[in-house]
Amino acid sequence: MSDCSSDENENDTILYRDRPEWKDVTPLKQDDGDEPVVAIDYTEAFEDCYDYFRAILKKKEISERALELTKTAAQLNSANYTVWQYRREILKGLGKDLNEELDYIQKVILKHSKNYQVWHHRRIIVEWLQDASKEKYLTETVLAKDAKNYHAWQHRQWVIRTFKLFDGELEYVDTLISDDVRNNSAWNQRYFVINNTTGFTDEVLDREIDYTLNHIKTVTENESAWNYLRGLLLHGKEGLSNNKKVTDFCEELYKSGNRSPFSLAVIVDMCFEQLNEGGGDSRYTPQRAKELCEELINKYDIIRANYWKHMIEMIDKTMKDENIESSN
Amino acid sequence: MSTENVLLKFAPEMHKNYLLHILNGKMPSYGSSLDTNRAVLMYFAVGGLDILNSLDSITDTRKKSIIDWIYSLQVINEKDLTSGFQGSTNLNTIENRGKNTLYKWAHIANTYACLSSLLMLRDNLERVDRCAIINSLKALQLPNGSFKGAIDGVESDMRFVFCAAAISHILNDWSGIDVELMVDFILNSISYDGGIGQAPELESHCGSTFCAVAALALSENLDRLTRAQFDNLRRWLLFRFDGGFNGRPNKPVDTCYSFWSGGALKILDAYDFIQQENNHQYVLMTQDRRGGFAKWINCVPDPMHSYLGLAGLSLMDFGGLNEMFCELNITKRTNEFLEEVQKTWM
Repeated sequence: MSDCSSDENENDTILYRDRPEWKDVTPLKQDDGDEPVVAIDYTEAFEDCYDYFRAILKKKEISERALELTKTAAQLNSANYTVWQYRREILKGLGKDLNEELDYIQKVILKHSKNYQVWHHRRIIVEWLQDASKEKYLTETVLAKDAKNYHAWQHRQWVIRTFKLFDGELEYVDTLISDDVRNNSAWNQRYFVINNTTGFTDEVLDREIDYTLNHIKTVTENESAWNYLRGLLLHGKEGLSNNKKVTDFCEELYKSGNRSPFSLAVIVDMCFEQLNEGGGDSRYTPQRAKELCEELINKYDIIRANYWKHMIEMIDKTMKDENIESSN
Repeated sequence: MSTENVLLKFAPEMHKNYLLHILNGKMPSYGSSLDTNRAVLMYFAVGGLDILNSLDSITDTRKKSIIDWIYSLQVINEKDLTSGFQGSTNLNTIENRGKNTLYKWAHIANTYACLSSLLMLRDNLERVDRCAIINSLKALQLPNGSFKGAIDGVESDMRFVFCAAAISHILNDWSGIDVELMVDFILNSISYDGGIGQAPELESHCGSTFCAVAALALSENLDRLTRAQFDNLRRWLLFRFDGGFNGRPNKPVDTCYSFWSGGALKILDAYDFIQQENNHQYVLMTQDRRGGFAKWINCVPDPMHSYLGLAGLSLMDFGGLNEMFCELNITKRTNEFLEEVQKTWM
């Protein structure tokens, strides 16, 4: 929805039809058919601006006044992708200073930070300029207000990947995770950075596992951190159930009385992995998995009880299949 | 938080009136930011009425005029490959009626919305230029398999992958898509946590996960998920349920995800794992006293959340609502109508 804050444009109270510099243009009315559907009760200013927008689009006028008009049109509806597309044609045609455009679109983004079109415009201007030096700061400003803004993260990843700006990113992510350990976007970014820089070498894995376990220790009911831990273990040779640091941590947590469903789910999966792949760790038996599922069903994850019942069935089925296999 | 406006009794009549008002009335001017996607708004209104089993509340004459309005948005442009449907009439003038002029381009989400709405209104798609639309899809697919929304000036992501798959399914012609490339894009967008993002390496999100899962299902490629990917995806989606559904881990629950997450779970045959008596409570709490549903409790309702709230309630088998065909995000009965229409193309 549009907002009502004013723009610095001093002209914006004068309708285009009353402006002398537009006298030579005949405005073009929208043809919405005889019986419109999902109509919008446009304001007079909206109709006036878009009547002139249609008129200059017809001529494909490339001029300063057309550029100014797209600003008003975008202010009235920043989601109108045609307005932005046309604006870019004008910027190109007039050879405008694109750094000024960056300043302008930054202001628009700070007002409409969940709008696809304004971010897309920014991205194209950055591509044209081949200068991404202001992008990290911009996305940080947006993320300071909403640390999970998907558009900002998408733009940031694109910039970092395209212009190789990985330096300092892990530190930034670390700050965000310290601010809010449940910030799933930050955990995702952590994975993105490592995956594109060092990769998950044994050494990095070890460091990341420590990092994650430390954060789980502070808040155990944190799906983001548990998911990240699982993601890490997928890279290791040891799978889910053979990393001593992780298994010891989970066992200790369990012994301390902690029953976070995320932690119980991981132990269930460890048992299941051992059942499927043969492990030999006596802590991770099918029987234990089934007991944990019962705990989840009856007490710790009642809303997903049917799922945990299904897990018990899967375990039984796997055991049966293995018995048949071994007796053959 | 005040609970004064919380209404736990389901009020289908009010939702019907709300949706009819969106469809036939005039939205206040603050809705101007939705001006380029009016076709999608229409899809929410007509689709909501379909779920409510209330399409009869639109008179036959009105149905005809809505259908005509939808066809007025159709672009047939084989030369520039911009065929499909516009989202709005905002570039249309009496002079350029029926003509291809600059920027009168189809938008993939609106093509999907228009085709679906035509089916809900029981139009047999006779006036749809199927070939032209399919040919234009080719111009929208990117080298990484993803789709952009329009020929130029619009971003690309998983939302438009779903739209491309849905359009191909509806028109029963997959020749406009490199399906292998599309599947690669989807598989590359699976995150370490099991969910699926809007593009590779982006955070898992229920909206993009739904789009990806539905596109795989429609193109008959769900079996391309490995056993582990399938299990992890179901697990990730199941953990989105927390009384209501959230869209990402550690985000608040929101009415729209009752369909995005719920629909994906249905397609993956895992919805019953969270099926319980009181699941509809959260969605009902976002119901407005004057009709419609909002994102959160005590917020202003809007057409998108109203439609998705109803669709989400339908998955819960609640309120005698029409059943959903999740893969296309339309009702089962509308999909049955589509199947009848498709038979005439054989």
